[in-house]
Parts: sequence; C-alpha cells; structure tokens
Amino acid sequence: MPLIVIAEDEFLIADVLAIMLEDAGYEVAAASHGKAALALVREKRPSLVITDFMMPLMTGLELAQAMRRDGELTHIPIILVSGAQGSIGRAHPDVFDAVLDKPYNEKKLIAAVKALLTEPG
Amino acid sequence: MNELPRLSTGISGLDPILGGGLVEGASYIIQGHPGAGKTIFANQVAFGNLSRRGKVLYVTLLAETHDRLFQSLGTLEFFDKAHLGISITYVSVFQTLRDEGLSAVVSLIRQEITRQEATLLVFDGLLSARDRADTQLDVKTFVAEVQSQAAFVGCTVLFLTSTRIAEDSPEHTMVDGVIELHNELVGVRSVRRLQVRKSRGSAALGGYHQFEITSAGITAYPRMEAMLAPMVAADDHSAPPPLSSGTEGLDRLMGGGLPRSSVTLMFGPSGCGKTAMGLNFLSKANKEEPALHFGFYETPARLQAKARALGVDLEKPLGSGALEVIWNPMTENLLDKLGHRLLDAIRRRGVKRLVIDGLGGFERAAVHPPRLVEFFAALMNEIRRLGVTTIATWELRDLFGPTVAAPGSEISSLLDNLVMLRHVEINSQYKRTISVLKVRDSAYEPIIREVAFGPQGIAVSTPLEAVTGAATGVATPSRD
Repeated sequence: MPLIVIAEDEFLIADVLAIMLEDAGYEVAAASHGKAALALVREKRPSLVITDFMMPLMTGLELAQAMRRDGELTHIPIILVSGAQGSIGRAHPDVFDAVLDKPYNEKKLIAAVKALLTEPG
Repeated sequence: MNELPRLSTGISGLDPILGGGLVEGASYIIQGHPGAGKTIFANQVAFGNLSRRGKVLYVTLLAETHDRLFQSLGTLEFFDKAHLGISITYVSVFQTLRDEGLSAVVSLIRQEITRQEATLLVFDGLLSARDRADTQLDVKTFVAEVQSQAAFVGCTVLFLTSTRIAEDSPEHTMVDGVIELHNELVGVRSVRRLQVRKSRGSAALGGYHQFEITSAGITAYPRMEAMLAPMVAADDHSAPPPLSSGTEGLDRLMGGGLPRSSVTLMFGPSGCGKTAMGLNFLSKANKEEPALHFGFYETPARLQAKARALGVDLEKPLGSGALEVIWNPMTENLLDKLGHRLLDAIRRRGVKRLVIDGLGGFERAAVHPPRLVEFFAALMNEIRRLGVTTIATWELRDLFGPTVAAPGSEISSLLDNLVMLRHVEINSQYKRTISVLKVRDSAYEPIIREVAFGPQGIAVSTPLEAVTGAATGVATPSRD
C-alpha cells in the first residue's frame, strides 16, 4: 500500500484529506508544518507528498525545494494544493509535479495521485 | 515627553479613538461576540500594514479553514490575495496546540515571527488557548511570552477572542490595550459600537464609538463630543460685517444680517418658509463663500424644483461648484456618521454658508438621545470654529397651538440666533409670520412681520396687524 505524506497545518483539512486518501486505498502520515513534514519524509520515504503552501516554519515551496535538493528524496512526486498561491506553485514546475487549487476536489486529487504513482519512475 | 511610535490601523476613524493609532510593538486584545467584526478588524489592520511595507503573521486556532476565511474576506475591498503567502502568512497552530501544548505554540510563533520578519502578529482564538490551559497561570505565561517575544523585535500583536475578558484577568493585566467590539439591538435596529477598555501609554477616547462594516471594511465614527471636546472656538472680537441672508427684509429684521460664524435656528411648522429661506441663503454662494445644503427631507432634484418654483437660482452655484447638496435619507442613520459627514464636507470645500434642513434628522439618528446636547454643542462649536455661518431648521410638530417648543431648552441655548416662523389665523385668514427672538451680540427688530411669497420669491414684508397670541398661531384682535 503506497504511503502518502500530507503537509497541512489546518487540522480539518488534514483530517478530511487523510480519510479521503485512506478510502482510496493509500496509507497516510500527516505533519502539521513543513519542517515536521520534511522530517517525516526523511523517516518514512513515502511514495508521494501532498502539501499546502502557507504553513508554519516551512512553506510548501520550501519543503519541495528541500526535497529536490536532497538526492535521496528528489524523485518523490509532490502535489501542491493551495487556495491562493497556486500561481506561485505553477511558477515552479521544476519542484511540483502537480498544482491543484483549493477547495479540494476529491476526484481530481485522486486522479492526480493515481497518475503520479503509476508513472514509470 | 516622549511620543510613542505608532502603527496606523488603516481603519478610517480608529486612529484618533486610539490616541494616534496602535503603539508599535505593543499588544492588544480585540474582543467581541462572534459576528462583532473582530476578524474583519484584524485583517483590515493587517492589509493596511502591508501597504506600509509591513509583514504580517496571522496565526489561527480556529475550526474555520483559511480558505473559507479568504472567501469571506474576498468580498472586502482591502483584501488582496496577491499578498497571501508573500507578505502576509496565515498559519494554523491548532495541531501543535493539541499535540504539544501551549509552550510548543509559543516556540513556533517565536520562530515564525523571526522567519517572516513580521511587524504585526494576529493571534485569532485566544479562547481556545484558554480552554487548553490547565491553569490561569498558563494563559498568563502564554500571553506574556508571545507578547515579550514580539515586542523584542518590535512586532505589534493583536489577540482576538470571542469571550469578554474580565478586567482583573491576567490577560487583561498583561496587554497594553483592550478594544471591545459590540453589535447590539437598539429597539428594532442593530448598532455596532466599539470601546477602548484599556489603553496603556495613549490618551484614547473613552466610551462607545459607532462603527459600520461595509464593503470597504470597518469605518469608525469617533463620538463627536469626545473627539472635539478640546477644540474651543476662539472668540472673534474683530466683528466682521454680518452675512446677507439672501431674503429680502430679513437682514434688517436681524440687525443687519446673520452674524458671521453664527448658527441661526429657524423653527416653525411645516410649510411656513424655512426651506425657502434656506435656499435664498444658499443662492448667494460664490467661490469665496462656498455653500452646502445638508438635508434630510428633499432629494437634490426636489430641492432644485422647489427653488425654481420660488424663483431662486440654484443652477448657477451648483454648476460652478459654489454649492453642494448632500441628501441624507431619513432611513437608519448613525448620529456620528452624519456629524463627520457634515464636517468632512465643510472642510473639503471650505464651506462658509451652510443650511442644515433640519436638526430633526440628527435627532432621529440618535440611539441615545440624552447625548444630543453634548453632540450639538461639539458640532456647533466646530462649525463656528471653521468660520461657517449656518441656518439650521427645526420643524414644530403642531401647526397651531399654545405651546411653542423649540428643540429642547439646552439645545436652543447652544444656538446663536433664533428666528420663529408661524402660520397665524386672523379673521379666517392664514398669514405666514416671522419674528426674531434672539441675535448674538446684536440688536434686532422685536416686531412680528408677515412673510410674503411673490414673483421674487419669499420675502419679509410689513409688520403684522395688531393682534395678540400670534406666536401661538391663534390670534385675536388687540383691544386698543
């Protein structure tokens, strides 16, 4: 069962997102800010990361850039889901594999996750 | 004496209430029931701060998602989502609080303030922090630590909470200021008011101040008598010549005209010529003496039609910009909003001739009528101080009757000149009359005269025939 790490400071969103992904058959680990998420990624080596943009201590962009700089994490696909900073995310196609806008659309998200996880690595 | 460095709130009218704005690096509690306007308050201050190149950290402990917050803020003009994640950052620390406790939240906020180089920290949800704290001491420590860390780097803090924090509570003791927002029912209407309950290092204007929330965000209206209290009109002993009333015969009756920078009350029942005399006064407007009609009853179009019917030319001064007409419909008004609107309009154009038609419009807007005396005292003093000569009208309720009630004895005494207009019934005929009861520092004709409507408009005409009881409207022939 592929593991997905969620980086999201808003607990309501993190909880719903986790349930959504678990129902779709994924294992989920969540962190409430970018720094904790980076530690979690280093520890768990997930198949995919879904991150918010605005978070304490480390933004979603900083998290993604840190992963891309790290040879061991650089291959992990990252989805940015953001309310207002989608354009910032889209300006960095090198760090994000997909950029989705909030509010969450379950079908779109699951489709994006499936597509990234089935892509030949 | 040191002046504390200030952070403008960006909320119109609020800085004077706070004695000049928020104190930089100080911390404030913004409290009020849900719906009182705290979130709009904090976000407006935040976005106002961005325009002065500040940076904002907005920390929430709320159940509402930031996305929902942005949706509702999106209806307000000050909100600009281009700043999100760049100069203003919204973060939730709910999970940190739930999993690691208050001290972890403090540590996170400290790191974030430094990382973001924030000049303003908003902490929304002090109530949740209180629920989580095991003892009162914990909250006190939390507030103390957050504010001391923020103060260390000169960051101003707003703690938002929906509970009323008691004056002897540790939080209240710790912070530099407490601002309370209310939304109350007065009769059948609701009125928003704010109160600065604590203000360390600032002479804030105490008591309630009305505010409203529109698409522009919050606009506060400092209570007129509180804000204008220190401004006393300087007595002008040079006695410049009086200003012409524009109504034929009235200047003579008043001892030469309207004393400059004075307020004349024209009172009488409906239809006796108050508005017409006001229009005459305004028709004399020119570039040197700009005029303003501040009315409640007639729309600008109706006022112009009335002027045309009376043969008064308003088109010329309106066209040249020498005259402005501001109509305030008699719907739900706010007393101080009206007062500030009037003063702003006077200051904007340097108005010298003013007609307020009539004072009853202010009276109807007062949700706390006992303060009208102080309100009018402050307003009239300021109008005089600005060198404006004013005619204010007051409508008597009874067309005829033995009691002649001017607008409260205290209010009448605030006015410089009193002119009474009446309908008088004599021998089955109605006559309009005018008489002067008081003129500031000047002699006047103590004679009741008739008012005539002719092709040249309204004019003061011959003395009324000898009757008694004319002032009541019901006259009987005098016995010789």
